[in-house]
Amino acid sequence: MRHAAKTTSRVLRRFWRGLREWCGDSAYETYLRSKGTQSSPCRTLTRAEFYVEQLNRRYSRPNRCC
Amino acid sequence: MKRLFSIAVWIAVGLLGAGALGSIALHRGEPLNATWFVVAAVCCYLVAYRLYSAFVAAKVLALDDTRATPSERHDDGRDFVPTNKWVLFGHHFAAIAGPGPLVGPTLAAQFGYLPGTLWLIAGAAFAGCVQDFVILFCSIRRDGKSIGQMAREEVSERGGFIAQLAVLAIMTILLAVIGLVVVNALKSSPWATFTLAMTIPIALLLGLYLRFVRPGRVLEASVMGVALVLFVVVAGQWVADSPSWARVFTLSGVALAFAIIAYGFAASALPVWLLLAPRDYLSAFIKAGAIFSLAAGILIVRPQVLMPPLTRFIDGTGPVFAGKIFPFCFITIACGAISGFHSLISSGTTPKMILRESHARFIGYGAMLLESFVGVMAMVAACAMPPGVYFAINSPPSIVGNAGEAAVSTISGWGYPLQAQTMTDLAHKVGEITLWNRAGGAPSLAVGMAQIFSSTIGGERLLSIWYHFAIMFEALFILTVLDAGTRVGRFMVQDLGGRFWKPFGRTRWMPGVLISSAIIVALWGYFLYQGVVDPLGGINSLWPLFGISNQLLAAVALVVATTILMKMGKLRWIWVTLLPMAGLVIITMTASYQKIFDANPRIGFLAYAKVLAAQIAAGRIPAEKVAETQRLIFNQRLDATVTGVLAAMILVLIFEALVHWYSILTRRKESVLHESPYVATLWAADYSGTAHGDD
Repeated sequence: MRHAAKTTSRVLRRFWRGLREWCGDSAYETYLRSKGTQSSPCRTLTRAEFYVEQLNRRYSRPNRCC
Repeated sequence: MKRLFSIAVWIAVGLLGAGALGSIALHRGEPLNATWFVVAAVCCYLVAYRLYSAFVAAKVLALDDTRATPSERHDDGRDFVPTNKWVLFGHHFAAIAGPGPLVGPTLAAQFGYLPGTLWLIAGAAFAGCVQDFVILFCSIRRDGKSIGQMAREEVSERGGFIAQLAVLAIMTILLAVIGLVVVNALKSSPWATFTLAMTIPIALLLGLYLRFVRPGRVLEASVMGVALVLFVVVAGQWVADSPSWARVFTLSGVALAFAIIAYGFAASALPVWLLLAPRDYLSAFIKAGAIFSLAAGILIVRPQVLMPPLTRFIDGTGPVFAGKIFPFCFITIACGAISGFHSLISSGTTPKMILRESHARFIGYGAMLLESFVGVMAMVAACAMPPGVYFAINSPPSIVGNAGEAAVSTISGWGYPLQAQTMTDLAHKVGEITLWNRAGGAPSLAVGMAQIFSSTIGGERLLSIWYHFAIMFEALFILTVLDAGTRVGRFMVQDLGGRFWKPFGRTRWMPGVLISSAIIVALWGYFLYQGVVDPLGGINSLWPLFGISNQLLAAVALVVATTILMKMGKLRWIWVTLLPMAGLVIITMTASYQKIFDANPRIGFLAYAKVLAAQIAAGRIPAEKVAETQRLIFNQRLDATVTGVLAAMILVLIFEALVHWYSILTRRKESVLHESPYVATLWAADYSGTAHGDD
């Protein structure tokens, strides 16, 4: 029983993490964790700055298909 | 023992798939249950994935997991982000799955269920999935370069330029034709028009929330947005029931076309965070939910497929669009089997996020299999309604007449019994004024989906809500493609203009933004308007034009893939991309020739122009209609020119490639592969498979 609960909780946690990653909800956390950000001499962007910058980049190339 | 068991299981899956396919192909007489379609498709996909994609991965591409991918080498948390393979699969699928696999099979159902279903399954397994997989692999090996850049480097400078021009041309036609699908779905429907119009203020609200209140909290904003969208789907009924409000939202085709053109301009020129991105979030969630629900609905309801395997329209006289099964079934299905547009995604965001080379098989090949499955479900939904109803919804008035007894007698005369009362009752049940002459695929698909959904939840009482949910789902994500495509088109126009005048190329210079947005919107807007006023229904001209251009882009992608395989020394396996490429070239060139030169005015653009010119010359056109008819003649000639130019561009590219291949094979030219140098992965030692989706 305990094993089943643990497994369910692990699956749900993983699903939640995947869902956040898929829709871009955790993009800022990923950006903060990335090697590029940690080793870059440039100032780290705030959440709001990162959000706008990321959208401008994403929608300047084909990202939705027919 | 374990190996023997595995072999036995795969033989059983193969036999089950073959049996189900055989049932679909050979069944005659009584209606067939949709379960056979699901079983046949799923078994074929499993076998294709297990055997063919494994062969391509191991022998043809020789995927190498010891090699660092671009996401490892350039990890910047922005473009290059190492991503779990399941999450990236979801990303990639959300990007490639558009309205094409839903609308194409619905239109191709006029030939009967068999040709479309067979091409959806076989075309995906041997052409579409291979294209997506190989292009993804090529881009991974080149730091995520685009298909245009790869064509320039691996084929020729001119090849790259042609590929970029082809993308712009295809984008223009694509945006026009999907705009036309939305116009035909919303025409004279206050409920659907209100629902879709309300998604704009909802998206603006979400945009402001995500920008100023809770920046980047996409999930919570999307949940609120989806709840609001579902509310306006229900509220649309109150609008439709109120005579004064219904009048406001009852728009003609031309008015809707101008509204969509204005929307496209606004979405392209406004900041992306305000309208475009929040709409995309809404669309992604609703798309995922609707596709999952449709699959579940088909499995639960297991509807009977009422359309025959082959209809009389395989002879080319179809009312939805004219043309024989070859090549028009392939051109019409387009994205559900193979889509050139996917090569832009496979060489765009996905290669920059992939974690290991071996994931390319699951993401590139697997996501396309899923898209093909969406196409099969759309085919089932369209074929589950009585054929008479299907043809009544999808035929233009110039073929069957304007509703009523004349149309009933035409359709019944084809051998598909129909009663006028059936159409009246159905329109009433789904909350529409009329369902006659609603060509474009969206309304008939929505009727099919609504019947499946309402058989699962709510019964006939909820049929109207489900119908408008389906219309909203289709229109919402079509408009998402339209606004995102217009914005990308704007960047292309600015890039092109910037070569002649530098300031125009600056993406933040407001006059440049406005002018380039106006240019791209005017380009596709013209074709959209032309489709809306076309007496043959617009879809008859524009959908084949879209299919031809899309499949031509796929041929470009396969030319690039074949060249790269040749340079990699994989001459033995070159047929993997060469055969689908040759097939596509034959299909698209035949279709292009027929669309330009066929003597039947419903097929050939020039023949139709000639008929109209003869009618003016003979004085059969009333004086007040002469100017309009002359515009129509001009449009037919324009369509013929566009088709010819597209076909010529691809022939030039193929000629360039053939010269290049000859030089490589005869060793007149050194074969230079522009791959990034090998860098060993550093993740091998501390790599966590669980965290990255390998478990």
